Amino acid sequence: MPIGGFIVNAVPEDLEVAVAFLTAIPEVEIHGHDKGGNIVLVIDAPDSEHMQRVVKKINDCASVLTVGLTYLNVEDEADTIPAGADVTGIFHGGPASGSAG
Amino acid sequence: MAQSRREFLKRTAALSAASYIGMNLPYRKQNAALAADADSWHRGSCRLCGTGCRVELGVKNGKAVALRGVKDARTNFGYLCMKGMHFWKCMGHPDRLRTPLYRESKKDKFREISWEKALDIAAEKFADSVKKYGNDSVAYYGSGQALTEETYLFQKVFRGGLQTNNVEGNPRLCMASAVGGYLTSFGADEPIGGYADIEKAHCFFIIGSNTAEAHPVLFRRIMRRKLDNKDVKIINADPRISQTSRIADLHLQFDPGTDLALLNAMANVIIEEKLYDEKFLESYVTCKKGKKETVSFEEFKKFVADYTPEKAAAICRGNMTPDKIRQTARWFAGSKGTLSLWTMGINQRKRGVWANNLIHNLHILTGQLLTPGADSLSLTGQPNACGGVREGGGLCHILPGHRLVAKEKLRNQVEDAWGIPHGRIPPKPGYHTMALFSAVNEGKIKALWVNCTSPMQSLPNVDLYSKGMRREDVFMICSDIFPTLTTEAANLVLPAAFHFEKTGVYGCTERRSQLTLKAVNAPDGAMPEVWIVREWAKKLAEKMDDPVISKCVEPFEGLEPDFALPKAIWDEYSQKLTSGRDNDLRGATYTVLQKMPDGVQWPAPTEAYALTGGTVKKFVRGMDPLADTHAKDDKPYQFYGHAHDDGKLWLWLREQADPEEIPDKDYPFYLSTGRIVDHWHTMSMTGRIPELLRANPYAFVEVNPRDAAKLGIKPGDMVEVESRRGKNFLPAKVYEGPTEGMVFVYWHDQHPDRLINMVTKDGYDPGSKEPEFKICACRVKRISGPKPLKPYIV
Repeated sequence: MPIGGFIVNAVPEDLEVAVAFLTAIPEVEIHGHDKGGNIVLVIDAPDSEHMQRVVKKINDCASVLTVGLTYLNVEDEADTIPAGADVTGIFHGGPASGSAG
Repeated sequence: MAQSRREFLKRTAALSAASYIGMNLPYRKQNAALAADADSWHRGSCRLCGTGCRVELGVKNGKAVALRGVKDARTNFGYLCMKGMHFWKCMGHPDRLRTPLYRESKKDKFREISWEKALDIAAEKFADSVKKYGNDSVAYYGSGQALTEETYLFQKVFRGGLQTNNVEGNPRLCMASAVGGYLTSFGADEPIGGYADIEKAHCFFIIGSNTAEAHPVLFRRIMRRKLDNKDVKIINADPRISQTSRIADLHLQFDPGTDLALLNAMANVIIEEKLYDEKFLESYVTCKKGKKETVSFEEFKKFVADYTPEKAAAICRGNMTPDKIRQTARWFAGSKGTLSLWTMGINQRKRGVWANNLIHNLHILTGQLLTPGADSLSLTGQPNACGGVREGGGLCHILPGHRLVAKEKLRNQVEDAWGIPHGRIPPKPGYHTMALFSAVNEGKIKALWVNCTSPMQSLPNVDLYSKGMRREDVFMICSDIFPTLTTEAANLVLPAAFHFEKTGVYGCTERRSQLTLKAVNAPDGAMPEVWIVREWAKKLAEKMDDPVISKCVEPFEGLEPDFALPKAIWDEYSQKLTSGRDNDLRGATYTVLQKMPDGVQWPAPTEAYALTGGTVKKFVRGMDPLADTHAKDDKPYQFYGHAHDDGKLWLWLREQADPEEIPDKDYPFYLSTGRIVDHWHTMSMTGRIPELLRANPYAFVEVNPRDAAKLGIKPGDMVEVESRRGKNFLPAKVYEGPTEGMVFVYWHDQHPDRLINMVTKDGYDPGSKEPEFKICACRVKRISGPKPLKPYIV
């Protein structure tokens, strides 16, 4: 269950729109913002993949220019390093092991 | 996790973020009883691009549990990107290589062997090859991701020990044209300024770079600069509309390979409208038609006069108009500080050096150099292409400290530093990358060591060069952390320690060297490369009965590999090999690098100077200590680079030149390739991080909507992309990205159906020898509707 600290840069003129957009995302907590379009937020997600999706969603908002990570805590995941994803072909040796998916 | 602890961590996260923008939050870090978020924090650099972002890895119970940016780092000011956020997952991943693997024949399966046996085999095979086929029958192919200490030690043993300059690395595929450009325009490799210019620039000229996806943290700085200063202009010149174009005031879209005409036309407008800096030109500039052919500025004017905006617009096509070219030139020349930024769109070209020269030309003409906010800055793709490979002697023609192999005096300096006899380093440069793999194909290379890179995927026209690596009579070692397409063709696979599992220096884009200290243990069985090379060299010395090979590693004998060994290697390199050179790193000792949040920019001749951060602008008296020591007159700028005897900047007459292959009736489309935000190079790392893999599980081809309509291609349809060399089958993304007549494919996918380097062309720049990945001709046709695909990784 990762926790991330982020600075979102919104178009300053669209700050209110961006804040409203972010407020509607359940995993997001807004901790502050300024006139320059900087928004301090925390994302508390069930897993890193979920966090990635939330970040992508924020990035796709037209009022948002960038999402910058400054802090990430993943101590809940540290003991369960992902065992690889849905991949075909593992290291068997020999040319071109594994079949095309 | 207890709720109170989660709240504590969330406040920690919020305070961390707020501190970067000077925002006060209505609470402070409190309740120490909840314990720290980590047992210890370990400072280092991010692993996954050339920006050089500084991070701290939080470790608890011996495992990485947290990551935070370093606020005081002048590379990233604490910010990180999503790719950087995930790299810790490579540590302890179940796919990590943990024991040496060996097979005598490439038809056999690998079997696990001991390190003792593995190093014995490695030494025996290289020794046998040298004895039977000569010194140049062996080669090293390294990486811009290896630590400087690793590249340095590998090349020392190969050059001084095995007496071959067959020392190459994958930066040939990405940075070589930038090196050529800097040397021929400014007389010295690597940029004059750096990232500090971003916050002072008033005009950004971003050409051939999707900064938003390839260098997201720098893109953030650029964007912030623009938001805070409404007068700042951003020009994005690229055949493809990308995320970077989002913030551009002007996007110039053109046919691939026509931008030399654009750059010459800009020079023409600058001259025609008298926007150039006459005094700067008189004081510091020579016009060149060839290295030995100097011409007058009048001839230069006459040369570019032919490139009228009208003519260039007709060559460039796309959305280019004469007015846009004029506007671009005026913004470029007239701003209070113009910063050009580029990456592979300029470098990976048949005339990549020329393209670099023509960008530099604009800065030289206008004097948009050496002052705050003005620079011509090539962004590096890999974290240590500059530091390890360009500076540390990782290419076939250069020795450590920017020394040319071909110069006897410089070879002797290196031999003296190493305490080995003169003549030990051969005078002939080795094979450059494409020549090396051609030699592998021809069976001229009998023993090849590939470290931390995957040429079976990353070479252009890769099917052709894979043949050589699969030859039974080519013994290939791969040292890496994960299986790759290249380990699959190896005889011997050596498991290496990953970033933060070992200690060493990375040198990023802006002449900045930064230390990463070991924070966690490597998986049992994986070893740091510096240990691997030292132990191999000792065995090699025995088998070759050659005390000079022993001499190469003698200073490092007995040192523990986690800190003392890399420190000793860095000390030798920085103190003995950079003294008196433009990349003087004598002040950047491990002691200093440990103190600095963001390392040191060379030149930094003393520790006292290095502790100030080093040199922000090269060649400027009062800012660069070497500009003072090399000063020949009272002028404020002193161009002391070794490549220009006249101490001047060179303004080049370079014609528009077509790519090696342009579309024709059989192959009517341009194909270009590049990086996607979620993946790093051949995805051997990022493909194993589920979040990143699932975000982009396979490559796709971007097709312009008007081309898609003509070809009957709908979003998600399967499409064949075929060149004269090979074909791919990819899902289509119909998207107003590539210009009409061009398709774009991401190059990370390992699947044989989607491995785009089977399609790219292996023509290369005659100067830099860098391949033209960015442009070739292809044909495109719809094969079927959408098909379910699975990601693929070896």
